[in-house]
Amino acid sequence: MKILIVEDEPKTGDYLQQGLREAGFSVSLATTGLDGVHLAIEGEHDLLILDVMLPGMNGWQVLKYLQDQNRKLPVLFLTARDSVEDRVKGLELGADDYLVKPFSFAELLARVRTILRRGPPATEATTIVVADLELDLLRRRVTRRGRRIALTAKEFGLLELLMRRQGEVLPRSLIASQVWDMNFDSDTNVVEVAMRRLRIKIDDHVEPRLIQTIRGMGYVLESRERRP
Amino acid sequence: MTRSMSLTARLTALYTLVAVCVLAGMVAIVSTAVNRHFEELDDDTLLDKGQLIQDLLTKSDARVALRGRLDDALQSHPGLYVRIADADGAVWYASPSFRFPDCILNRSAAALSGNIFNWTADGKTYRALHTVATQRDAPDTAMRVWIAVNTVHHTHFTDSLHIALWVYAVLAALLSGGLGWFATRTGLAPLRAMRSRAQSVTAHRLSERMPAESVPVEMADLAASLNDMLARLQNDFQRLSDFSSDLAHELRTPISNLLTQTQVALSQTRDACFYRDILASNAEECQQLARMVSDMLLLAKAEHGLLLPNVERILLDEEVQALFDFYEALAEEKEIRLHRMGSAQLRGDRLMIRRAVSNLLSNALCHTPPQGVVTIRLAVKADTVTLTVANTGPGIDPAVLPRLFDRFFRADPSRPHADREGTGLGLAITRAIVQAHEGTVHVSSWTGETCFVMTFPRPPDESGD
Repeated sequence: MKILIVEDEPKTGDYLQQGLREAGFSVSLATTGLDGVHLAIEGEHDLLILDVMLPGMNGWQVLKYLQDQNRKLPVLFLTARDSVEDRVKGLELGADDYLVKPFSFAELLARVRTILRRGPPATEATTIVVADLELDLLRRRVTRRGRRIALTAKEFGLLELLMRRQGEVLPRSLIASQVWDMNFDSDTNVVEVAMRRLRIKIDDHVEPRLIQTIRGMGYVLESRERRP
Repeated sequence: MTRSMSLTARLTALYTLVAVCVLAGMVAIVSTAVNRHFEELDDDTLLDKGQLIQDLLTKSDARVALRGRLDDALQSHPGLYVRIADADGAVWYASPSFRFPDCILNRSAAALSGNIFNWTADGKTYRALHTVATQRDAPDTAMRVWIAVNTVHHTHFTDSLHIALWVYAVLAALLSGGLGWFATRTGLAPLRAMRSRAQSVTAHRLSERMPAESVPVEMADLAASLNDMLARLQNDFQRLSDFSSDLAHELRTPISNLLTQTQVALSQTRDACFYRDILASNAEECQQLARMVSDMLLLAKAEHGLLLPNVERILLDEEVQALFDFYEALAEEKEIRLHRMGSAQLRGDRLMIRRAVSNLLSNALCHTPPQGVVTIRLAVKADTVTLTVANTGPGIDPAVLPRLFDRFFRADPSRPHADREGTGLGLAITRAIVQAHEGTVHVSSWTGETCFVMTFPRPPDESGD
């Protein structure tokens, strides 16, 4: 997967590039709108991460230009402005998503994957399996090593999210938004508590532990202990 | 021009104008009266002499005797001229060294009969009478008599009177203007006092007030209004500067943590695990900072009335249920029961309302002791919709109740970040959101229960349910 980043702030650009590379993407970086347009037209990219405030040609102009050139490319806007007008403008111009600075890298990664996944419709699996954990979407049943685990509806939703996006670090805000439709930061550690309770049901007394807490970033469900 | 003219100058000009009008009127009346008086005097003299001449003509039998008598009679009247002629035009008598103008002599008796008229010759004005008399010796012959008085000494008098009056009028107008200016200046002294008081108000001296009690009644209202305005400004300014220092303090804590941790970590070579810990801790601090900044932005937007992107009908029951689902795990862990009563609808921004209620709910969960209950009551009244979040617990100190919605206010200031308590902006955000929906939020607390009540205007088209 090739991602093009257009970002004029050198530090932000470098870290985005490094982070996305380490997440397994092939990344190119442009520091001006004009360079970005050239790279976007010439290279075969799968996603454009576009800063709005750019010298010379701003993000909206870049997007407009690419559309005029009939260059279809998913776009994720990064901006320090979060007014509704700006958001609406970005989305109306055809951006796929919108992230307000400062954002957490885990959040960006989660959204990048969501956009890239949208492309071909995923085959609707009825069961998701990670190691010995099995989630039956039709019968809404969860089993581990064949033993049935009773979950509440929200716990089921939480586990489904983690399993569908296994291996991805999911930030708390994304979890709250996807599972409970809470699109703002709560003052409390609700997600931690819910995760802890889910973990007790899934992981207690069973090795290996599937649900990992990545401190400062979020949670990930994966079958092997890749991270300490 | 009128706008730039000072009030003093304007009032002085008006006073002067009024004085000039009054004085000019007086001068006009006096001079008219004097003129009329002199005319009457002259007319009396003329009629009197006319009568005298008629008498003399009646008594005198001879022309010579008549002239002598007339000379005697008219001697004492300088400036009185007489001409007597018979119907044939023969002059019987004429004052020496005076000639009536021909235009008057030629006019027929009928045209002049009984009239008193004026004429001017050589710069002198004469007033004259023409009568017809009869002589004793020739009673059938009409004698024409012209009598004229020179009015020059009257004119002299009225001229000097006019000069005196106008000099007086000008001086009096000037004096009135001066007095007007003085009176205005004195009268407007309270205004100047207010101005100089206003000039002394600065950001550092917002406690200055207008002298409301010492100014005249007409200005007391203005002074009181200005004082109210100053009080509001002072209050807002105080809040703003408190807020700035709170903000600096709140931002300083995580930044100082970040800096200290990072510098301590860099001071020696550490193992990877240590670095990871530091970075994770830094990430947490950064998230805290980012949240604080976005909360601040939200509040700033609320103050500019930019908080309601999409207004729609909200079923509060559903929103509360969604929030209960969200907080369920936390409540269960703390052994707190969540309970909802009633149902209601509202018009507003769903995300914002959810956020406002969420803040109250998380606040309630935070302060409810184990085995407690958090109840959300929804009620529809005549023209309001209320949402009450009540929780059991020891209650809140009445002293801190009024400050509960202030930004960065924490009941226990010593532990700002204990247990990820949040940015201290939650209740301020709730209030901002409620106010953006034209509602109010109140808190009341007593032993055993604390109640936050949000009151919104009832949606207009909502019927009974």
